[in-house]
Amino acid sequence: MKKYYLSKIICLLLLVGVHFSCTSDLDFNQVNDLKLEPVYELNFSYFNVPATAFVASDGTNYQWAYDDEEFDVFRDKYINSYLQRADFYFEITNTIARAFSLNIVLLDANNNMLTTIIMDVPAYSGTANTISQTEIFQNARLELLKSTRKMRFMVAMKPGAVLDENSPGNLILRSSATVYMDIQ
Amino acid sequence: MRKGFLFLLLVVVANCFSQNKQVLYNMTSVPQSLMLNPGADFKYKFYFGVPLLSGTSFKVGSTGFSMYDLFANDGVDFNQKLRKVVYATNRDDHGALNEQIEIFNGGVKLGDWLEDKGYLSFGLYQEFDFWSYMPKDLAILALDGNRNYIGKSFDLSDLSVKAETVSVLHIGYHKNIADNLIIGARGKIYFSGFNATSTHNSGYILTRNANTTMYEQIVNSNLTLNTSGISKYIDEDYNGDVATDVRKQLLFGSDMGLGFDLGFTYYPKKNTQITASILDVGFVSHSKDVENFTYKGYYKYEGINPGFTGSDDPDGVYGDFQDAVKLDTLYNKYTTWRPIKLNASYKYSYGISSEEDCNCYAGEKKYKNSVGAQFFMMSTPRTPITALTGFYQRNVSDKLQLKATYTLDSYSYTNIGLGMSATLGKFNLYFMGDNLLGYQDVSKAKSLSFQFGFNFIFADSNEPPY
Repeated sequence: MKKYYLSKIICLLLLVGVHFSCTSDLDFNQVNDLKLEPVYELNFSYFNVPATAFVASDGTNYQWAYDDEEFDVFRDKYINSYLQRADFYFEITNTIARAFSLNIVLLDANNNMLTTIIMDVPAYSGTANTISQTEIFQNARLELLKSTRKMRFMVAMKPGAVLDENSPGNLILRSSATVYMDIQ
Repeated sequence: MRKGFLFLLLVVVANCFSQNKQVLYNMTSVPQSLMLNPGADFKYKFYFGVPLLSGTSFKVGSTGFSMYDLFANDGVDFNQKLRKVVYATNRDDHGALNEQIEIFNGGVKLGDWLEDKGYLSFGLYQEFDFWSYMPKDLAILALDGNRNYIGKSFDLSDLSVKAETVSVLHIGYHKNIADNLIIGARGKIYFSGFNATSTHNSGYILTRNANTTMYEQIVNSNLTLNTSGISKYIDEDYNGDVATDVRKQLLFGSDMGLGFDLGFTYYPKKNTQITASILDVGFVSHSKDVENFTYKGYYKYEGINPGFTGSDDPDGVYGDFQDAVKLDTLYNKYTTWRPIKLNASYKYSYGISSEEDCNCYAGEKKYKNSVGAQFFMMSTPRTPITALTGFYQRNVSDKLQLKATYTLDSYSYTNIGLGMSATLGKFNLYFMGDNLLGYQDVSKAKSLSFQFGFNFIFADSNEPPY
């Protein structure tokens, strides 16, 4: 009698286990669909040049200044393959009484020119003087960016009144990059 | 990078546990109750388990999401589901997995039938443990980037994960030191087969608006992954037989550690019982085949900034970054602590068994019913987790005990467990499971566990053996 009771309970437990446990349809292969599409905001470039930087020791004016910067991020093959699009946002504030042209030249490993970003900056005339510009690198132009190993920043002063060591003002560049990645 | 993320994801998905065995705890017709309280009131002349089948337990659990949330075959894009899970969870949500298999176990009463010199128990079991918190900030950074989070500091300490296999050789002793008090202790030697621990991470990734450069951007990373026993498998030149090597290493890993369990059972009255135990107070010292991977450093990224002075950084900012925040491999030994478990219970019994209408039996009276409460706590890399259980236990007969539990813990509020211990002659078998409602649809359950085992028990008796 007791044994019968026991086996009844065991059977019941097993039956409950077998009949009432089930699982919804799961598909673990979905992991293969994993696709990361993060968008990163990064600093791109910054400078702050006072008007006096264009004045030589003998009082004459430099008509232009340039600086080459290494650009090594695309040496990384992963970053190179993940990048889908890059937007560069530039914001230039000029408080110098001269107009400028800012050129950023993208150069490859052999110093060949790939593309140029050109920004015209009007002279300061007493009112707020900030211009902004967005450059989008996508498709064919993105490939040029990916080949870039060096960036040449060129500031050319446009004709106007001569600057001296007491000339006020600064030429300020702030810029950021919005980087669209696709990792899969 | 994608592989790394996938690994992280799988680790999180595959995880869950708490090692709470609320059904088995204090079920003293089963020898394995001694593994949860070395001072359990379990009396025997001797017992031994069926090798490899004496005690198996498995527990998986996750807070915040279930397998169904991620892998339902419902036509919804996987990335959408993943994003939903990531945003629905918080950094303290976790997944855990624990599995234990007894290789052998046994016990014997010391002294003859007249004198009680205590009870010895011993054995070897193999355990696998996995624990991971939701690396929420890192997941957001990988899924969505920082564009919508200017001003937020992404916390790298969100990454907290550990996995290990240990074999545990143990010997325990318990004794009635008074009529109503049993105390017990168990010493343990741990053999660590594999260990990977990354629980002491700190640092942040920050982007916020600034006055000069567009953003103030800082990477401050202090990440460490300690591993032992896995270096040869991740070596590119490895061409051994993984299955054979792993099996060998699982049983007796070369790193060792020590630990102990303590516990007691106390009867303030005949029908009232209080028990408590502390388990796995111990450490493993990892010194052989150790590799530590670190990613440490501080870098403030300001961009590509021309100075127009003719003096330039020849490396470029990316090179500077890689020099500042470095990936290193070290070979320093380290120590890991076992997760400490605390159990306590209060039990009130009532109803004398009708089978014993003849009161000629001199021993303690067996009660038919018991109700009570249990408390469980376990240390984790962050705040300990706790669980509270109410239970009802029924001695259907000398041969059959049933226990039902209701548990409140961080995994669920609807955790109902059932356990059964049956004795056929000298043969004892037990089955236990919890979160039974979860079995309606396993894929949606956030936690599941079961234990079973087969043992031969030769009962203690106060009569001479011949």
